[in-house]
Amino acid sequence: MDGIQFRLTETVHSTDSTEMKILGISAHYHDSAAALIIDGVPVCAVQEERLSRRKNDPSFPLAAIEWCLHHAGVEPEDLDAVVFYERPMLKFDRILTCSLRTFPHSWRAFPKAMRNSLGEKMWVRGIISSHLGIPGRKILFTEHHQSHAAAAFLTAPTDHAAILTVDGVGEWATLCVGVGERFRNDTARINLQREIRFPHSLGMLYSTFTAYLGFPVNEGEYKVMGLAGYGRPTMTDRVRKLIQRTPDGAFTLDLDYFSFHTTAESSYSPRFLELFGPPRSPYEPIDLETSDGQRFADCAASVQQVLENTLVEMTQSLHQETGLPDLCLGGGVALNGLANARILAESGFERVFVPPAPGDAGCALGAALYADRIHFGNPDREVPDHPFWGPSVNGGDLARVAGEDGQQFRDCDDQALIGQTADDLAAGLIVGWMEGPLEFGPRALGHRSILAAPHNVGMRDRLNREIKYREEFRPFAPVVPIEVADRYFELPPGGTRLARFMSGVFRVRPEWRPRLEAITHIDGTTRLQALERNMAPRLYDLLEAYGQRSGMPVLLNTSFNLAGEPIVNRAVEGYSTFLRSGIDVLVAGNTRVMKRESRVAHREEAVA
Amino acid sequence: MQPPPGHVHATRFDRMLAPLHRWVWSCDQRRVQKLLRFGETETDGGRDILRAAEMTSDPLLRRLYLKHAIDEHRHGDMFRRRGADLFRTLTPGLKPAFQAEWLAPGGHGADDLEVQDESDNDLLAFLHLSERAAASRFSVYRDVLQHDEPTCAVFDEILHDEVFHMNYTLTQLTRVAPEQHRRHLWHARLSRLGKGYLRLATRLAGVLGTLLLTIQYFVLLPPFALLAKRAQRREQVGWHPVSPDRNGSLDRQY
Repeated sequence: MDGIQFRLTETVHSTDSTEMKILGISAHYHDSAAALIIDGVPVCAVQEERLSRRKNDPSFPLAAIEWCLHHAGVEPEDLDAVVFYERPMLKFDRILTCSLRTFPHSWRAFPKAMRNSLGEKMWVRGIISSHLGIPGRKILFTEHHQSHAAAAFLTAPTDHAAILTVDGVGEWATLCVGVGERFRNDTARINLQREIRFPHSLGMLYSTFTAYLGFPVNEGEYKVMGLAGYGRPTMTDRVRKLIQRTPDGAFTLDLDYFSFHTTAESSYSPRFLELFGPPRSPYEPIDLETSDGQRFADCAASVQQVLENTLVEMTQSLHQETGLPDLCLGGGVALNGLANARILAESGFERVFVPPAPGDAGCALGAALYADRIHFGNPDREVPDHPFWGPSVNGGDLARVAGEDGQQFRDCDDQALIGQTADDLAAGLIVGWMEGPLEFGPRALGHRSILAAPHNVGMRDRLNREIKYREEFRPFAPVVPIEVADRYFELPPGGTRLARFMSGVFRVRPEWRPRLEAITHIDGTTRLQALERNMAPRLYDLLEAYGQRSGMPVLLNTSFNLAGEPIVNRAVEGYSTFLRSGIDVLVAGNTRVMKRESRVAHREEAVA
Repeated sequence: MQPPPGHVHATRFDRMLAPLHRWVWSCDQRRVQKLLRFGETETDGGRDILRAAEMTSDPLLRRLYLKHAIDEHRHGDMFRRRGADLFRTLTPGLKPAFQAEWLAPGGHGADDLEVQDESDNDLLAFLHLSERAAASRFSVYRDVLQHDEPTCAVFDEILHDEVFHMNYTLTQLTRVAPEQHRRHLWHARLSRLGKGYLRLATRLAGVLGTLLLTIQYFVLLPPFALLAKRAQRREQVGWHPVSPDRNGSLDRQY
């Protein structure tokens, strides 16, 4: 075999040679990933960044592929198909056409775009074939938005739903609507009916403001959403100049205000700056006490409101058109929890399903599912409704490294561990919590989380200062047992479903806000996770144990990583994060390590 | 012989380039750009070394790598803070005409590190040489920045750590490969040289490629651009129907 070597020393699944094995891959733009389905059911999925430790790693996901195959005990030649999440030539067609349309303004971007595309991105079939040693005929291609649609619909517990996928851009499409249907004969169908094409893109509109506000594109969109809470939408009229609705209910961008379609250097044009003023420097902190700081917050609030209004109007039309009670949302824009909550409240849909990985990483799973159900016509199987598809953590590894460093550690049974951790949390300690398989998608949903008491603002400040090293305007999220979620948070009908994977932002009930200061955003909202026991039983038990001590089974739950790093995967990565930050206690599996005055951070070993 | 803590001798080559570095650092805008870029480089280097800490099976190395990674992260913050402070004093919108990135590289700016592919021996040898080269360059930067005391102080503090990094990597290399540490150092030198050549060749190829593509852009594309613009004018705005066959075959790439 040419390329990577697959170690098959230990495998988790035994496979039958008659089962169809399909590998899905997303790569080359941001957040690459691999996912494997066997006999119609996902077996594993992981983002490359979690293994390479490079945040948003866009490279071809060799490590992720290797792990998936190894985990499932599958050799590359056993694969029935490898599905890439978009059509590279169609994407190249868009890049070339846009260069031609903007001639001669695109002269700087053109060489870069061509070198970029001609280097690796166009030869995906050959790359996959050479890395895996499989024939080219086994390699298939879905369209980008088909992958998003499949990730949203085929993983959702619904038989018939409208589908809306929204992101920056795939090949040509930036937004698609359609319908997904499961039939009684166990077949499924996804029918994408119409689309809006590049450069008219809600994702690009939002990303342009992300860049204008001095945040990194494809990463800082969360920050714009957080900042929006501190502003007033005073500039919506100006944002409306950038995006106009068309008579048929779609929209167009006024390209005079943008430059993302002509150059790679900047997303916005001088005319944009005339409208909104000078951009924020990425190196200047946002001071909300200054007029500039407030202008940036107002700007964020305005674009957020326009995005929400546009999506709400489009989903209202979609609901009227389809008459269906369910909506499946996919694409990077589906990570906007504020917009999702408004869609649920105002569109007419009774349930809104957002997968745990609605962005490009999730397309790896979507592409594989699409090929299985639609291309091969295999029977539709229920997809387990959880996000835990990655490598499992090994508490023994933590015990080993902690022991070697002379740290205090203890192996305990579940009950003792949960009791002790609840005591720690009630005492105001911050806990790094690792258990079971890693989450697939950008949210930490209880298997790689930093947990803390949510009651006072001091905890939020400590987390920002000592652990997350991030802007003070960014909110933290809570996790709460689903049965009592409505007691503390204003959840509309269908809200718990949206909160299953932290996909919606809802209001904290006013009477509880004084006791939930650390997770209540400035506008009284929070992006909660409503936890069902069977999804993460140990975390659920921990919430109950904590509730017995504090009177409130709610914990602050933030992703287990430091600024600029991906979420931790292995115990040793959790351990190094624990040592480099203000986390007091680390739990991995059944091993617990308590921080003492760190010798690592201060000691210069007497070896120099 | 190892230099005493806090003291580094620049190599003769770096000393020879001091007038060039003085010129590079004399422009305020360029200084800001370089400091901010150094900030990114140090942070990236810190991540690589953190990865090494998470990969090694040697507990002592793990602790030392971790301390090293924390240092690099702090250096990144120091460069960024100083760059941001200087940035506030500049006239908005001005950019240096020539950024001179390759003339004055940062800490590990000239080195590529694939931590997962390296053994501890090779990594230590590589880090030692890399830190030594960075310390030599930084000592020259410090010397040519005497007129800018705060920036000079940043380099001074970082140099102190670089000396520790230089020393521990060599000491540990001698510990883990007592018989072969010289061979590893030579191997690392050759590897750096090879990577340097590849980087140069890639950059040159990039420049040539850009030149050729730019020529093609202006020579070959205009008639096609005209056609594309005409087609665009005919294109409808708003929704585009998705034809049913688009939902069909997965064999094609277009």
